[in-house]
Amino acid sequence: MIGINVNNYKNVLNTWDEMYVHDGNLRGQYHEIINYLKKESLSDLNKKEELAKRLFMSQGITFTVYDSGEGIEKIFPFDIIPRIITSLEWSLIENGIKQRLKALNLFLKDVYNSQFIIKDGVIPAALIYSCPHFLREMYQLNVPHDIYIHIAGIDLIRDYDGTFYVLEDNLRTPSGVSYMLENREITKRLFPDLIPRCKVRSVTEYPSILYKNLLALSPRAVSNPTIVLLSPGMYNSAYYEHTTLARLMGVELVEGRDLIVRDQKVFMKTTTGMQQVDVIYRRVDDDFIDPLAFNPNSALGVAGLMSAYRKGNVAIINAVGNGVADDKAIYSYVPEMIRYYLNEEPLLKNVPTYRLGNADEKEYVFSNMHKMVIKKTNESGGYGMLMGHAASELEIENYKKEILKDPRNFIAQPTISLSTAPCYMDGVLQPRRVDLRPYALYGPDGISIVPGGLTRVALKEGSLVVNSSQGGGSKDTWVLSS
Amino acid sequence: MLSRVASSLYWLSRYVERSDGILRMLKINYASSQDTIHEFTWDPVIRISSGGNEKEISAVKNDSRSVVEYLLFNRDNPNSIINIITLARENARSVQEHIAKDLWQCLNEYYHTVKDPKLLWHIQKDDPITALDILIKQVMLYYGTADSTMERGEIRSFMSIGKYLERSIQSIDTLDIKFISISDNPDLLTDTSYWKHLLLSLGGYELYLKSYREGFGAENVLELVMLNKDFPRSAIYSVNNIHRYFERLKSEKNIDHYNNLLFNIGRLNSSITYSSVYSMKEEGLHQYLVNIKNELYTIGNLLNEYYFANS
Repeated sequence: MIGINVNNYKNVLNTWDEMYVHDGNLRGQYHEIINYLKKESLSDLNKKEELAKRLFMSQGITFTVYDSGEGIEKIFPFDIIPRIITSLEWSLIENGIKQRLKALNLFLKDVYNSQFIIKDGVIPAALIYSCPHFLREMYQLNVPHDIYIHIAGIDLIRDYDGTFYVLEDNLRTPSGVSYMLENREITKRLFPDLIPRCKVRSVTEYPSILYKNLLALSPRAVSNPTIVLLSPGMYNSAYYEHTTLARLMGVELVEGRDLIVRDQKVFMKTTTGMQQVDVIYRRVDDDFIDPLAFNPNSALGVAGLMSAYRKGNVAIINAVGNGVADDKAIYSYVPEMIRYYLNEEPLLKNVPTYRLGNADEKEYVFSNMHKMVIKKTNESGGYGMLMGHAASELEIENYKKEILKDPRNFIAQPTISLSTAPCYMDGVLQPRRVDLRPYALYGPDGISIVPGGLTRVALKEGSLVVNSSQGGGSKDTWVLSS
Repeated sequence: MLSRVASSLYWLSRYVERSDGILRMLKINYASSQDTIHEFTWDPVIRISSGGNEKEISAVKNDSRSVVEYLLFNRDNPNSIINIITLARENARSVQEHIAKDLWQCLNEYYHTVKDPKLLWHIQKDDPITALDILIKQVMLYYGTADSTMERGEIRSFMSIGKYLERSIQSIDTLDIKFISISDNPDLLTDTSYWKHLLLSLGGYELYLKSYREGFGAENVLELVMLNKDFPRSAIYSVNNIHRYFERLKSEKNIDHYNNLLFNIGRLNSSITYSSVYSMKEEGLHQYLVNIKNELYTIGNLLNEYYFANS
C-alpha cells in the first residue's frame, strides 16, 4: 500500500491553506514533496517521525518540566511536513519586514531623544509614558550606530484570502531561532535529496551574520573584542538556544554571576583573572539586567551594567528599553510610524486593533466580544489572552471587569482565522493553523533576513493558539529560490 | 576561560570517572558473589562507593541484587550512578558550547541509558551484569569520544585534572578499605581471592600476573596500586598526569597562584615516588594513605580557590 492520500485532505472552510487550493488541486510549491510522500509507505513515514523524535532527544534539544520533583524532559513537538513559501511571497515578507524594522528603529531613537513623533501629535504622549517598558534610563543614551533593534522576530499570520498580517513585533529578546536551524538539520536527515531538488534556500548563514554584526558593534577599537552571550542560566526554557548560538558563533556563554562591573567597565571572571567584555548579546529581560537600575531582587543580571552602557563602554544587544516599540497598544501606530518616518505606505498590514483605553473603541469591543481576541498590552507568549469566539459568558463578564480596572493595558483585535498547513498526524495529512516568525538582523551594514523562519503550529484540531507554552509545535520552513 | 566553565568541566569529569570506578567495582564484586560458598560481604564495596547512611546500607547489604540496585538507582545515595550522572550531565549542559557536540550527545545518551526501565529489569529479574556492562560501555564511549574529539587545550586540561584526581582518590580509598578489613580479619591476608578481586576491580589483574610471579600477596598489591608508573589506576600514574596537565595551565597572568599549586602537586608527586612498601608500613599504612588523600584534597581546594573563583 502506498503512502499519503491527498484526496482525503479536508481543508477548513473559509481558511487559506498553504498547500491545498480546491477540488484536489495543490499549490505548485507543494507538488514535489507530495509526489515524494505518495511514494513512501506509511510505515516509512512513521519511522521518519520516530527518527525526528530520537534526534531531538539524543541532541538534548529538550525543555524540562519541573513538577513532580524529578524533572521530566520533553521535546517540542515537531511536524515532519515542511511549510513552503514561494519566492514571490518571500520578497513581500522580506521587504515588508525591512520597512517596518527601519521605522520601528527610528521610533526608538526618536522616543528616547527628541520625541518629534509626540510633538507632531502622531502618537499621544500619555500612551508612551504609560507603557511600563518605556525606560527613562535610556533617555539620551547613545547606542552604537543608532541601532536599537539588532534582532527582531516579527510574527506573521495569513487571513482567509492569503493576505499576510503582522501580528506582533518581538523586539526585545525574540527566541526560537535555534529551532529554525535545528528543524532544517532534522529535515535534511528525514528527506534526503529533497531539499536541493526543491531548490530550498539555506538558513545556515544566520549565526555568521549575527556574529559579524556583534563584532561591528564593539565600542573598543581592538582587533579581537570580547563578545559574550548573557543567559539566565540552564534552568531557563530557552537555554538550549543560548548554548547553540554561543557555539555556532564561537562566543562565550556567560551568566550574570560571571560578570562584574568596575570603573564602569564590564569584566568576566576567568581562570587567569579579569577580562574586559565589549559586546553583550543578552537573553535576559530588561527588568533583570541590572539590579541597581531595575528590579533590585534580580540575581540574573550584573550590578552596574547600565552605568557601563551609558558610558559607552559596552554594547548591549538588543538595546535596553525596546519594549516600548513592541507594546501592543503602540503596535496599532506602526503603520502611522512608517508613513511618518519613511513617507511610505506599509507593505505588510497590521491586524485592525482597538485600544480599550479609548472610550468609543471600548464600547464597540464590549458589544462585539465574541468576534474579538483581547490581549494584555505587556504580555506575550499567549498568556492573559481572551479568545472571544471560544469563551463562555461568565469568562467574558469576568474579563470585562478585569479590563475596566485599567483599560490602557488591553487591546482587542477581530479574530483572524490563521492559515492552515498540512501536518502528518495518525497516518494522514491534516490541516492545522500556523503562523510564521522570520528573524531579521539589523547591523551597521543594513538589515538582513535569513530566508526561512520558525513556523509554529497549533497541534490541537481547531485551535488558533500556536505558542509553545500553550501546546504548540513547529515545522521546518522552506523558502524556495524560484 | 570562565572560572565557572572550568569548574563545571572539572566536576563533569570527576563524576564520570567516579561512575566508571563504581561500575567496575560492582561488576567484579557481583561476579564474585556468585562464586563463593560463604556469605559474600558487600560491606567494603558499599562503604567505598556510597555516601548513604548506615541504616540504608544494612538494609541492602545481604542481598547482591539489592546492593546493585542501591548503588545504581537510589536517589538518597548521593553517589548512586543515577545521581552522579545527572550531575555530570547538568555540568555538561552548562558548558555545552565548550565541549564537542559529540561528547555532549554521548553524555546525554549515558543519562538516558541510566534512566531506561530495562536496566532495572535486568537487575531485579535478569542478569545484573548485563545492566552493568551496558553502562560500562557508555563510559567507554565517553572516553573514546573525549579522546578523539576534544581540543587539546585548557578545556581538556581541567577535564583531565578532574579525572585523575578522582581516580587517584578512588584507588587509594579502595586500598585503604581493603586493608582495614584485614586488621579486623587477619585470615584475609592469605586469602588469594580477596586480592584477586581487588585487582580485578581496579583493572590491574593482568598486569599483576605479568609483574609478580610469586602469587598474590598484600605487599605486591600495595606496590602495584601505589607505585607502578605503567598501571593506569595507580596513585603515581594519576598524580603524574595531574602534574602533566596542570603544567599546561601556566600563564603569566596568575603566576603566583600557579606556582603555589604546582608546588603542592610536585611535593605530593615526590612523596609517593620516594616511598616504598617498607616506608609505608613503617609510617603505618592507613596513616600514609590518609596523608596522601589529604594532599589530594588540598590540591582540589586550591584549584577551587585559584581557578574556579569560589574562594
